[in-house]
Amino acid sequence: MSPAPIESTLPGSLSSESSSLSGKKRQFANLRGVRWRINLGILPSSSSIDDIRRVTADSRRRYAGLRRRLLVEPHVPKDGSNCPDLVMDNPLSQNPDSMWGRFFRNAELEKMVDQDLSRLYPEHGRYFQTPGCQGMLRRILLLWCLRHPEYGYRQGMHELLAPLLFVLHVDVEHLSQVRKLYEDHFTDKFDDLSFHESDLTYNFDLKKFPDSLEDEIGCHGNAMKVGSLGEVDPEIQTIVLLSDAYGAEGELGIVLSEKFMEHDAYCMFDALMSGARGAVAMADFFSPSPIGGSHTGLPPVIEASSALYHLLSIVDSSLHSHLVELGVEPQYFALRWLRVLFGREFSLEDLLIIWDEIFASDNSKLNKGVEDDTDSSFAIFNSPRGAFISAMAVSMILNLRSSLLATENATTCLQRLLNFQESINLKKLIEKAKSLRTIALEANSSNPYPSFRGAHERSKLSAVRSHSLSFDCSSPTTPLSLVPESYWEEKWRVLHKEEELKRGSSQKQVPTRKKGWSEKVRLHLSRTGSDPSHMKVEKGKKDPKSSVRRSLLEDLCRQLGSEEDIGEIVRNEVLDQKDPIHVEVEVEEQDANLNSFTCPADDSHLIGNTGSEENSSIFSASTSPLTNDHENDSEKSSIVSNSSLDENDDEPNNAEAFRIIPEDPLPVSDPPEDISPKPETNNDSTGKQEAGLKERKLLSGKFQWFWKFGRNAAGEETSEKEGASEAAKSANRESNQGDTSGASTSDEFSNSSVNSKGDAADQIMMSTLKNLGQSMLENIQVIESVFQQDRGQGGSLENFSKNVIVGKGQVTAMAALKELRKISNLLSEM
Amino acid sequence: MVLVLALGDLHIPHRAPDLPPKFKSMLVPGKIQHIICTGNLCIKEVHDYLKSLCPDMHVTRGEYDEDSRYLETKTLTIGQFKLGVCHGHQVIPWGDLDSLAMLQRQLDVDILVTGHTHQFKAYKHEGGVVINPGSATGAYSSITYDVNPSFVLMDIDGLRVVVYVYELIDGEVKVDKIDFKKTATTNSAH
Repeated sequence: MSPAPIESTLPGSLSSESSSLSGKKRQFANLRGVRWRINLGILPSSSSIDDIRRVTADSRRRYAGLRRRLLVEPHVPKDGSNCPDLVMDNPLSQNPDSMWGRFFRNAELEKMVDQDLSRLYPEHGRYFQTPGCQGMLRRILLLWCLRHPEYGYRQGMHELLAPLLFVLHVDVEHLSQVRKLYEDHFTDKFDDLSFHESDLTYNFDLKKFPDSLEDEIGCHGNAMKVGSLGEVDPEIQTIVLLSDAYGAEGELGIVLSEKFMEHDAYCMFDALMSGARGAVAMADFFSPSPIGGSHTGLPPVIEASSALYHLLSIVDSSLHSHLVELGVEPQYFALRWLRVLFGREFSLEDLLIIWDEIFASDNSKLNKGVEDDTDSSFAIFNSPRGAFISAMAVSMILNLRSSLLATENATTCLQRLLNFQESINLKKLIEKAKSLRTIALEANSSNPYPSFRGAHERSKLSAVRSHSLSFDCSSPTTPLSLVPESYWEEKWRVLHKEEELKRGSSQKQVPTRKKGWSEKVRLHLSRTGSDPSHMKVEKGKKDPKSSVRRSLLEDLCRQLGSEEDIGEIVRNEVLDQKDPIHVEVEVEEQDANLNSFTCPADDSHLIGNTGSEENSSIFSASTSPLTNDHENDSEKSSIVSNSSLDENDDEPNNAEAFRIIPEDPLPVSDPPEDISPKPETNNDSTGKQEAGLKERKLLSGKFQWFWKFGRNAAGEETSEKEGASEAAKSANRESNQGDTSGASTSDEFSNSSVNSKGDAADQIMMSTLKNLGQSMLENIQVIESVFQQDRGQGGSLENFSKNVIVGKGQVTAMAALKELRKISNLLSEM
Repeated sequence: MVLVLALGDLHIPHRAPDLPPKFKSMLVPGKIQHIICTGNLCIKEVHDYLKSLCPDMHVTRGEYDEDSRYLETKTLTIGQFKLGVCHGHQVIPWGDLDSLAMLQRQLDVDILVTGHTHQFKAYKHEGGVVINPGSATGAYSSITYDVNPSFVLMDIDGLRVVVYVYELIDGEVKVDKIDFKKTATTNSAH
């Protein structure tokens, strides 16, 4: 009609700007890309369209400059140097600074990135697997990694980047759709106009235009009536303004631009990774080492995972304790959740909704007040965004609450957590997360450490392990560290330390389960049995056993004419290890020490379980450290040793207690060398002497530990089983030492016993021997019964190596049992 | 960005014990995608060594080669370029450009790599390139005085090939670069 509609786009823009500014937050409701860019801090949130355009243009310029600098094109002469130093810049140059050197290094990085990109979102392959998109992703990741060499490229970064690019792509598509509808607002009429010769005299006949305009309108069937821009939806207005080629910064300022998608995606990715000076920087989640401000000295992702668990413990402590008991460490699943911000758990559409919420939360660090309590803060809780992320994770865990509580198996739990099903009510999940967020923010000020202390034990090893667990495809890019063989031992130790801490609070006594645990422990310990040291399984194991033992010891005491006062020894907590006479010491010590010992770990299990099988357990335990040391399971034994190190060193004495040592055919009496607590009769000690001296301490540790069990146990039904399993283990060791030795030792023993000083001594010896024999028999029976049950239980165990151990242990234990029988027969004959 | 190494006339062990150490230090596996060898290696060990630099190796038979299974000439295509390899002792007069051009037309290649003269040459001829990488060990030649060890690295990128020449002159490695561009349309005159 009139030029008004055309010109009004320009002045109209100024007036419509103000109207569009109202309701800022909802301003870009349909334009996720723009919204996210604002939320991530790239675009200014509270300013005019023009400012947005300018900032966009600036960021794009920066990216283009970066790209030119870092993406090496060896052919292109750099910066006007037409004669590059060929000696340095040839392809074979060894010079690391040469262009070609950089080119080859980039090629390496590219290869890594490509490996991941080829597997990116295959279900959305129509977009993501196109070479254009892949090329963009590749370049962005490459540039970011070159720019941040301290992080390098880690698997998962591509999954953070992909949705960002996707969102921009969606915006551009939206733009093109709007364009089709509102063609006229977008195009500047004059651009397409072809001038007739006659018009060159600047006599534009404006009357011509309406006609052509109407023609055009007639052509586009879908075109809306050309009205003033102000009449159109504010949303459309903004889109038009954002993509006006003549706006601020011209083409570079078109905020929704396909041409500059790469630039924008890079900016978003960079902002996301660096956190934009906020509290949560995704890049930290990829770094294997603790970052500077970390209070806990753990890698940030581990810290964040523990923060998650902390929040869970506040919200739902029973589920939390259940998971912890099962040994489900948070980073097994949380690592994947956090590193890609739940990218793997939800479909792309759902993920976008979640990310909407995440990015909507502010990322600025919250001031925590004057006293920056360095001990009690999780970095992730430092901002609403971080709090929301953890709240989201917790709400996901809660979603699976019933299925998690139902399973008694760590693996199944993990499976459920890692295979988060797609068909969930996302809205509910997000609502819950929002509600939890406030809790999370408050949680920051509370003391997270009781449950966190266990996490201290967790080293990077767990990060590595969990990483490898949670990523389905092998990760070529994260050689964080090697998983040591004793990883599971460490896990066990940590778990049991936590258990100990929890014991006071939750008395969840699930005897069978616990028994299972401790059995696994024992059997695992026994598995390492290469050490010939034996436990004396035969030592009286039943309830009356302690009394038997006591009597035995007393016999020995008398017999040996020990100078040391028993009572004295009892009080004397710290005994000289080299003290050859320990017999009497043991008994008293046992009793006294048991009470004084603080069982460090696994108490809850073992205490409940070991009833009358104290001695056997102790013995088997003592041997286990010996064997452990031989393997790499130093950690396990160290667990015990840790616990026991502060305790007395009487333990060796205890060990020797059961050694019937009339005199010295058995160098057994030599404490420093005798490692195993010899069950009096078993002369395996002779063989064992060679066993490492260093194990003594461990032995004592274990001993004391198990002593405690024996003491505290009130004879639960599982106690026997415990003892039996331990007996089995000790039996293992016996069998390890060889069948003949057992027989020979017993022979020796009988000989020695025969040679014992005096008839009186002999008689005492005989009686003690007989008692021992009886106890051995009893023990054997117990073991056998145990094994029946063991078999049944072994099948249900799905845990990792423990299952294997159980199987192995059983087999060897059976063999050992036969040995026991022989020995007991011999003894009873005497 | 395909890197093609062209070398030949090593005459190991008859006339030279080994490649110069400076050359050897530059030739590391992983960077080069193809190796073109004009011939006269002469023994299998040299063949194996070159194979370790790059698995894709093309060798033609020189008159002193001990492996008689090598072909007299070979053609291959890398990127947009067709390359031809021949030792060159078959083309008489030795080193004559026109005769070599005849061979190039016969093989119908864009880049012809020949040797035998132990002297580096790179000609642009009739829309194609004739390259002689010289002798990588600087072995004696009856037709060339003062042989310097040299070899050639070609960087083939689309329609453009950059030829880097590495020469060992007075104990120092000197590098030179020559650019060739192929005319875009492949005009097969048939």
